[in-house]
Amino acid sequence: MMRRKIGLVVLLAAMLGLVFASVGSGRTAAHKATPFKVAWIYVGPHNDAGWSEAHDKGRLYVQGKLGSNVQTTYKENIAVGTQFNQTVASLVAQGYKMIFATSYGYVTPQIAAQYPQVKFEQATGTLVKQNVSEYFGAAEDTVFLSGLAAGAAAKCNTIGYVVAYPIPEVIRHANAFALGARLTHPGVKVKLVWTHSWFDPTKEKQAAQSLHAAGACVLGQNVDSPAAGQYAESVHIPWVGYDSNAMHFAPKSWLTASVYNWGPYYLKRVKAAMAGTWKPGFYYGSIKNGFTKLAPYGPRVKAKTKALIAKYEKRIEKGTYYEFTGPLRDQKGKLRVKKGVRMKVLKGGTNSLYGMNWLVQGVIGSPKG
Amino acid sequence: MRLRPPVTIEQRLRRPRWLAVAVPVGSLIFAFLVAALVLVATGHDPFSTYRQLFEAAFVQRGSLNQTLIAATPLAFTGLAAAAAFRMKLYNIGAEGQMYMGAITGAAAGLYLGGRGGPSPFVIAAMVVAGGFGGMAWGLIPGILRAFFRTSEILTSLLLNYVAGLILTYLIFESQSYWRQTQGFNATVFPTGKPLPSSAVWPGLSTNLQGGIVLPLGAGLAVLVAVFLWFLYTRTRFGFEAQVLGDSDRAARYAGIRVRRKILAVMALSGAIAGLGGVSQDGDFRHALDGDPNGLQKLGYGYTGIVVAALGRYNPFAVVLIAFLIGGLQNAGAALQGPSFPSGLVGVIQGIILFSALGGELLTRYRIRVGRPARPPAAPVRVPETAA
Repeated sequence: MMRRKIGLVVLLAAMLGLVFASVGSGRTAAHKATPFKVAWIYVGPHNDAGWSEAHDKGRLYVQGKLGSNVQTTYKENIAVGTQFNQTVASLVAQGYKMIFATSYGYVTPQIAAQYPQVKFEQATGTLVKQNVSEYFGAAEDTVFLSGLAAGAAAKCNTIGYVVAYPIPEVIRHANAFALGARLTHPGVKVKLVWTHSWFDPTKEKQAAQSLHAAGACVLGQNVDSPAAGQYAESVHIPWVGYDSNAMHFAPKSWLTASVYNWGPYYLKRVKAAMAGTWKPGFYYGSIKNGFTKLAPYGPRVKAKTKALIAKYEKRIEKGTYYEFTGPLRDQKGKLRVKKGVRMKVLKGGTNSLYGMNWLVQGVIGSPKG
Repeated sequence: MRLRPPVTIEQRLRRPRWLAVAVPVGSLIFAFLVAALVLVATGHDPFSTYRQLFEAAFVQRGSLNQTLIAATPLAFTGLAAAAAFRMKLYNIGAEGQMYMGAITGAAAGLYLGGRGGPSPFVIAAMVVAGGFGGMAWGLIPGILRAFFRTSEILTSLLLNYVAGLILTYLIFESQSYWRQTQGFNATVFPTGKPLPSSAVWPGLSTNLQGGIVLPLGAGLAVLVAVFLWFLYTRTRFGFEAQVLGDSDRAARYAGIRVRRKILAVMALSGAIAGLGGVSQDGDFRHALDGDPNGLQKLGYGYTGIVVAALGRYNPFAVVLIAFLIGGLQNAGAALQGPSFPSGLVGVIQGIILFSALGGELLTRYRIRVGRPARPPAAPVRVPETAA
C-alpha cells in the first residue's frame, strides 16, 4: 500500500515535470536592443492608494521619461526575508540590474553581498553599502502641515491617529502630526492605535472605529490603506490621509495628506545607473526639492486654515521654521530637546529623526506599541 | 414516487488500481485547463505563463535554491500536520508551534553560540530547543483535548495568533534577549539579534545551477519523514495511534491509553513544527524574525495542512509535495508584475491546489449520474471480504 502511494506521488511529480517541460521548450527569440531593467518591490498592493501606490507612480514616471530605454516591473505584497530573497533571485535571473526596495528590512547585508553587480536602493533605512543606497525624505514636515489642518477641524478634544509599527519613522510622524494639531488647537490630544502592519485595511478600520468610539472627532493615519478614511466618511468626521491623494475614497471627510513624489529621485538614480555614475548614498528629500507636499484640500478645510498652512509651508521651505525645534517635551513632560536646538536626521541618538523613540506631549499611547 | 437527485455521490467499495494514477494526473490536467481558461480570459498566454512558472520554480539559475528555501518550512509543517492528522487529531497550530520553535531555538543559538564556524553542539542544542518549544506549544491544545475534551482545532488555531503576538512583542515592543539593541541601526527599525556564526546552519553546497545549497533543515525534514514512516508503520505506537484514529471506542476497548496517545501525538506534531521554526533561524534568517511582514506573512503552517492532505499523510509524499508547492510559491513572486496581477497568481495557485485536493474525492467516492446503483430500500452492505 505504502509503496504504491509513493510510486503514485513520484509519478505525479514526473507528470507535472513533463507538462511543464513540454511547454518550456519553446524559448523566445533573443532581444534586440536590451533596455536597462529596473524593479520595484512593494510591501502592499501597487494600488493601495497609499505608500506603495506613491512608489508605483514614481516607477511609471521613470518609465514615461526614459521610454524604451528602460524596462520596469514591480513585485507587490512581498514579505521581508525569504520571500524578498526569492523575488530578488528571480529578478536577477531575468536580468534586472537595479532594485528599489521600498520598505525597511528588505535589503540585508547578506543579500547585498550575494549580488554585488545589482544596485539596491532601499527606502527608509540606514544600510549604506558599496551597492546599497538609502533614500527617504522629510515627510514629517508635510505631516506637520496636515496636523495643522486636523487641529483646525477638530471640534472636540481628541484626534485619532492610526499608526503601523512602534518604530522611529512612525513615531516621528505621529509627533509631527501632534505638534501641528496642537498649534491650531491648543490642548488637543492625539490618541494612537497601533495596527502592526503597513497595509491591513481590516485592522485599520477597526482602529478607526475604536478611536471614534473613544471620542476622536478627527482621524489621521500613518498606515497605507484608505480604510480609516472610508470609516471616517461613514460617520461624517474629518480625515487626514497619508502617502497618496486618496480623496476619492472619502470626498466629504477628506482634509488633506502628506504625499510623496518619488519620481524625480528615481529618475535621477536610474539615469545615473545607466550612465555608470551611480554611487551609494543617503538621500533625504524635502518640501523644497519637491519630494513631499500636501495633497489638494477637501471641502472641509477653511480658507483661514489654508492660509495658515501656506504660511508655515513657506517658512519650512525657507528654513525659518522647523517643527522639531526645542523646547520639545515628551509625554511625561520631561524636556527632551532644549530650546533652540533643531533635531537632525541621523545624529543625536534617540533625539534624532531616525532614532526617536518617545512621543511628544499631548500624544496618548505608548511608543512601545 | 420520490424524485431522486440526478447525481449522487457514493463511497467506493473497492479502489481500482488505475484510479490512483489517473486521478492525480487527471486533476492536474484539469487544473491546467481551467487555469488556462482564466489566463486566456484575462488576456495572458497560458503556455508562456506555464513556462515562466516552471522556469522560475525549477529551471532558472538559482531557482532550485529558492524553491528549496520555500519547501523546507513546508516540509516541516506538512509533516507536523500529517503526524497529527493520521490519528485524526486536527492540529491546525503548526503555524504557532513553528514560531515557538523559532523563539526557543534562537534563544539556544544566541546563548550557546560563540565565535568561529558552525558548531555541531550549538546546532544540536538549537534543534532540541526548537523541538521543545514547538512541543510545549502543541501540548497546550493536547492537554485541553485529552483531559477536557476541548476541540483541538479551535484551541490550536487560536494559539497561532497568540504565538504571533508573542513573536512580534519580542522584537518590536520590548528590549528582549532576542532583539538587537546595539548600534544606531537597531533603533531605526527593530530587528532580531544576529545569531553568532557558530549557530548558523551550514548547507550542503553543490555545483548544480550555479551553486545550489541544500539547507540543513531540508535534510532534517527528510530524517523526520523517515522517522515518522517508521513510527507509523513499524511500531506499536503507530499502530495504536492508527486504531485510535479509526475508532476511539475500539481503541479504548483494546486497552489503548487514549489520553497518553493524544498527548504524545500532539507533542510530536508540535515538535516537528518547532523544528521548522528553528530551521528558519539557523538556515535562513540567522536571527529571530519577529516582523509581522516577514515569517508571519507567509503562513507556512497553514500551507502545511494542504501539503499534508495532498501527500495523504504519507511522510515521504509530504516531503515531495512540499518541494512542488515550494516551487509553486517561489514561482508566484517571479510571475507577478505590472502585466500580471499578484491576485491572478493566487488564483492559478488556488486552482491547482483545489483540483489536486478535489481529485482526491474521486479516489474514495464515485459520482453516479442518474439513479443510484441499488434501490435505497435495501441498505448497502459492505461485503465481508477477508482483510
